[in-house]
Amino acid sequence: MSDLHLKGPEELNQDTGAHLHKEVKRVWRKGAERLVLDLAATRCMDSPGGAWLLKISDFLRKHHARLECQGDRGDVSDFLRLLAPALTSSPPLPRKRTGIFENLGGVLIAAATELRQFMELSVDAIYWTLIAPFEGKGFRFNAFVDEVHEMGVRAIKIVCLMNFLMGLIIAMLSAKQVESFGLQIYVANLIVIGFARELASVVTAIVVSARTGAAIAAELATMTVQEEIDALRGMGLNVSQYLITPKLLALIVSLPCLAVLGLISGVLGGGVWGVLVLGFRPSVWYTQTMEAAYMDDLTQGMLKTLFFAVAIVMIGCHNGLRVTGGSRGVGLMTTRAVVMDIFSLICIDIVFAVVFYYILG
Amino acid sequence: MEKALIEVRNLITHYGDFRVLDGVSFDVRPGEIFMIIGGSGCGKSTLLKHMCGLLKPTSGEIRFNGRNIADLDEEALSVMQHAIGIAFQSSGLFNSMTVGENIAMPMREFGEVDPELIDHLVRFKLSLVGLSNAQYQMPGELSGGMRKRAGLARALALDPELVYFDEPSAGLDPIMAAGLDELILKMKGLLKTTFIIVTHELESIRLVADRILMLDMGRVVFCGTLDEAAACEIPRLRQFFDRQPDEFISQRNLD
Repeated sequence: MSDLHLKGPEELNQDTGAHLHKEVKRVWRKGAERLVLDLAATRCMDSPGGAWLLKISDFLRKHHARLECQGDRGDVSDFLRLLAPALTSSPPLPRKRTGIFENLGGVLIAAATELRQFMELSVDAIYWTLIAPFEGKGFRFNAFVDEVHEMGVRAIKIVCLMNFLMGLIIAMLSAKQVESFGLQIYVANLIVIGFARELASVVTAIVVSARTGAAIAAELATMTVQEEIDALRGMGLNVSQYLITPKLLALIVSLPCLAVLGLISGVLGGGVWGVLVLGFRPSVWYTQTMEAAYMDDLTQGMLKTLFFAVAIVMIGCHNGLRVTGGSRGVGLMTTRAVVMDIFSLICIDIVFAVVFYYILG
Repeated sequence: MEKALIEVRNLITHYGDFRVLDGVSFDVRPGEIFMIIGGSGCGKSTLLKHMCGLLKPTSGEIRFNGRNIADLDEEALSVMQHAIGIAFQSSGLFNSMTVGENIAMPMREFGEVDPELIDHLVRFKLSLVGLSNAQYQMPGELSGGMRKRAGLARALALDPELVYFDEPSAGLDPIMAAGLDELILKMKGLLKTTFIIVTHELESIRLVADRILMLDMGRVVFCGTLDEAAACEIPRLRQFFDRQPDEFISQRNLD
């Protein structure tokens, strides 16, 4: 005989369920095909009781046997009817982990797909920004002005503060290094050249990418999740024209202006240290600064900011538009946008450094 | 008469200067399905938030098992909230977790459940709502109806005395909506749970409600059984049940 018989408790709950589970394990013998559980005396059951029943059913299934409940009535019967699919079938399995080659292939395909999407979006945005207005297709001037205010005007304070502090710190550190040679006045040269060529544009772009790049990604990601982007497309509006172009043009205009303000703030920061701590007269520091300032340095530094602006906006938009999975997706894509922004800024900076200081001398 | 699970007395609340609820009083009895109905902007969601302890009233009392929610400190309020399950209109499932993890989360955080049993308890809850195979799926992979059922399973995770369900049928096809109504009735019967449901769906109200409360512009228009509602001649109630449009909709809302 391959059947086992057990009687159910009067009330199937946490304690009696655990006891029943132990009892099943105790009476279990190899070769048994079926456990018949007589629930005629069971008046009621609760959630933990039901969970123990599932656990018993899983134990029996693992040993190639099945659970059969008999004599159930009333609420217990209703419970068992709802539980029937779970009692008679195996529990769902956690997702299978993929192998190393599957993962590698997945990464490559995802990277290629993302690159294609980024290129498509960039071409679309460039068309709507540079070509379409000359073909008489609409340009949202009011949105552009709003974006300039949001991305440019409202960022002035933080950009100036960051650059001022950077100027102060660099003056402080470099003055210490050249102190023994008595060359502290050349700190003024270092500050103005450093900020004009490199620091003003890079520090400003990093501040803007953390501020504006994250905001663009979060805004577009939220719009995507809430189907606002689909609504735009459904109305026959082009997302690039409607959303990206005003942002792109606004940052192309704003970022160089912010970088110039950043340059002035950085030089001021260095000057404050030079005058107040190193003890130079303001006119001496000013003359030294102006002698070291060359238009070429400034042009090279500011030229970079145009590329930085394009990178910040396009990366923010790209990540925002490809969000999936609700609130967590918005957070992930915003973080990703900022990380990609900063990485791309450094890459652009390297290209400029190679072109201007090695190739063109 | 059976003691009320929730007693609301003369509840008044404001958003700024605007009085959202104006002297609302009613009782909810244990084990019943109590439906709150009314037009958009009448204060249903605000009332629900007060009953969960998410908002504090300007004046009046909300008693849950005899204790005034407004008087509870943060810890006592948190304990009270464990006895309440909330199923949100858009399910409120955490997108970063699987369906099973969503349901296990309150059990791990607050439940006195044997950790070894949690997995089976999750399957039990999912089986009750007909989703026994969805344990390892992400919420984003579920249909609207499945998400609502998973949200209900999470609301039932700690076997609460009371479940708030916001718009269970909103956005669902009639078959799915009818299935969800049937599920609510089953849960009421099997788990002896009290349900407070905010809805607009006339079919659901007729099928599921034990008693209804109708709000209009922050005031109680009607509170009683379906039979009493059918016999009642209050114009706003008749208008709601007969699906008659409001001629001066915008003026009413601006008042």
